[in-house]
This record gives sequence, C-alpha cells and structure tokens, in this order.
Amino acid sequence: MMKMIIHDLDQQEFIALYDNQITDVTVISDNGTIRKCIGCFGCWIRTPGECVIKDGYDNMGELLSKCHELVIISKCVYGSYSPFVCNIVDRSLPYLLPYFAIKNGETHHRFRYDNKFTLSVHFYGNDITKAEKETAQALVAANSVNLNSIGNKIYFHNSLQTIKEVI
Amino acid sequence: MRIAMINGSPKLGKSNSGMMLKALEPLIDSKHEISHYNMNKKPLTDEQYIELCHMDTLIIAFPLYFDAIPSHLLRMLTTLEGYMKAERKKEIYVYALVNNGFYEGKQTCIALEIIKNWCIRSGLHFGQGIGQGAGEMMGFIEKVPLGQGPLKNLGRAMERLAKNIHSHGSDESLLFSPNFPRFAWRFAATHSFWHAKAKKNGLKKKDIMKRL
Repeated sequence: MMKMIIHDLDQQEFIALYDNQITDVTVISDNGTIRKCIGCFGCWIRTPGECVIKDGYDNMGELLSKCHELVIISKCVYGSYSPFVCNIVDRSLPYLLPYFAIKNGETHHRFRYDNKFTLSVHFYGNDITKAEKETAQALVAANSVNLNSIGNKIYFHNSLQTIKEVI
Repeated sequence: MRIAMINGSPKLGKSNSGMMLKALEPLIDSKHEISHYNMNKKPLTDEQYIELCHMDTLIIAFPLYFDAIPSHLLRMLTTLEGYMKAERKKEIYVYALVNNGFYEGKQTCIALEIIKNWCIRSGLHFGQGIGQGAGEMMGFIEKVPLGQGPLKNLGRAMERLAKNIHSHGSDESLLFSPNFPRFAWRFAATHSFWHAKAKKNGLKKKDIMKRL
C-alpha cells in the first residue's frame, strides 16, 4: 500500500515543499499532457477499471486501489480544486463501478475495490473567501463519500510555506 | 437581450446538457438573440471569450462530475474570469442547468455554489440554477413533452427559470428528481443502460466488476 500525493504545483515548488525520499509515495502532478474526461464511460463498459484515454493518467482507478493515504494539494478555485486537480478527480471514475448503492438516503456508485484510504486536502490561496471555504468543505465531504475514504481532513493555507509545516 | 447558451458537456455527440438547453430555448421569447457555445471538441477561442463578455445573459449547462464542475468547464471559467475583468462593460446575469447522473437533483448544490463563487469573482450576477437528477435518462425520454410524465418537474422548473431569465430575476435554485420512481430508474439504468452498453462491447457483468 502506498501514500499518494496529487498536486498542482510546479516541480520546483513541490520539491521545496516535499523533499522526502521515501520511495512508496506516488506523486501525481501536471506534466501538460492530461486530457479531459469525455464522459464516454469507457472505463466501465469498454476497458473496466481503466480509462480509455491513454495520456499517462489512465490508471487512476488502479492507483487509488493501492493507496492507503491520499493527500491533495490544490489551489482553491471558486471553492473547487484547481482545473488540473479537478481533472485528476474526474479521471478517477474507473475506481468506481457503474452500479448504484443507497447511502444516507441518496444514490452513489458502488465501489470496485474494498480499499479505503485517509484523505487530506490542502487548499492554498491568499484570498480564499468564507463562501469558497464553505463550498470546498462541502465538496471534500461529498468526494469523501463517493471515494469511500476514511473520513477527511481539510486545511486552508495562505501560503505554500504553511503546507510544508503540516504535510 | 443577448443570451449565450453554453453547453459544458465534454461529450462528442448528443449530450444531456444539450438536451436541457434545447428544452429551455423554446421558452425564451424569440425577440432575444441566442448564441450557442460548445467546448466538447476544442476550447473557446479568444473571439468567443470576448463575445461572452458582451452578452446580457449566460446560461451554462453541464453534467455533475464528482459533486462539482467538469475540469474542462472549470478551466474555461477561470479564463473567462480574466476576460470579464478586462472586457465587461455591462451587467451580466448567469443561470445554470446541472444534470446529475445520480437520481437526486439536490446533489448538484455544491456545483451551483461553485458557479456562484465564480460569478462573485468575475463581477457577474448569479440568477438561478436548476439541478436535475437521473440526467442520463434524458436521452431515453427525449420525445416526452416537457412538463409531462417524468419531465413534469423539469417543465415546471424551466418555466420559472425562463421567467427569471426574461426579467433578469434572481431566485432560489430548484433541485429535483424526475417524476419517476427511484427503484425503477435504478433497475432501468443497471439493466437497460450499463449491461446493454457493456454487452455491445462483448462484456458481461463479471467483466464490468474487474479489479486491476
């Protein structure tokens, strides 16, 4: 099992933040090749468990199945993740099954794997509004249910330096 | 009034977001000028971004992705925010139509909050949102008249939305499920949709369940 970090920082920023040499950490970052999820459901009905878009980000489902700790570092954009991190979340659909389950009276997808991971989300930005914080908290809580994480922790940072202190 | 209908679906062919916009369009008075924008094949051009800054009304339709806005639409909104700050000269009202693949329309509330937050950052007015559940059902009931059968709630919501669009009014968002029982929707989605689609690709249920 591994720890996974998904972030939207450039390489230098990330190295300055996290220079841990532990090898069982998988880092997902923006190399400029990611393509959008096109809503084709190919990851469910053509190549189950795997995205059909072969851009190097097609194995998010499998990676999440081997993850015990997920850390997300993202700029807070309107109370959502940044477009890149949001793109990674979108491309994580193969982690789930198309089938439905009812939880707390609402519909969600059933899980392809029995795996569970802890989820910590670090939002950064120097002018995140109260409304954006509330939206982000609601989003992470909802994602936590849909991704079957063991609870969730959410942090807001004015600068990248404060992330370094808690990561 | 100049109105932009922005289809935020990433799908290459027919989309549920497109169907929702198509259902709304006849309810808009024909004296208004409607322009259509898509970003499913390629991003908007500079000219299109500038055009959007000179509209009176933006109507954005999109599918719910992991409780939020699909990333390509979010990317477009971040770019549009910059254009709005530089180019906008008049008041613009924004209305949103969200379709959720799950049965419950209320799950679209976070995505609508994101749109509201974007409006504030961009200096725009958020008018109203509609959030419909069981979005994938739209393709199967396309011929059902709006306001009837499973589209009764959608019809009512569209009428109220159209009224607000005409008057540039703001109102509480309307989040609802179709007029169709959840158990029947779930059964149909599983057997007539997922299993049927997988079968076309030579897959059985055990293949769908595959773990890597």
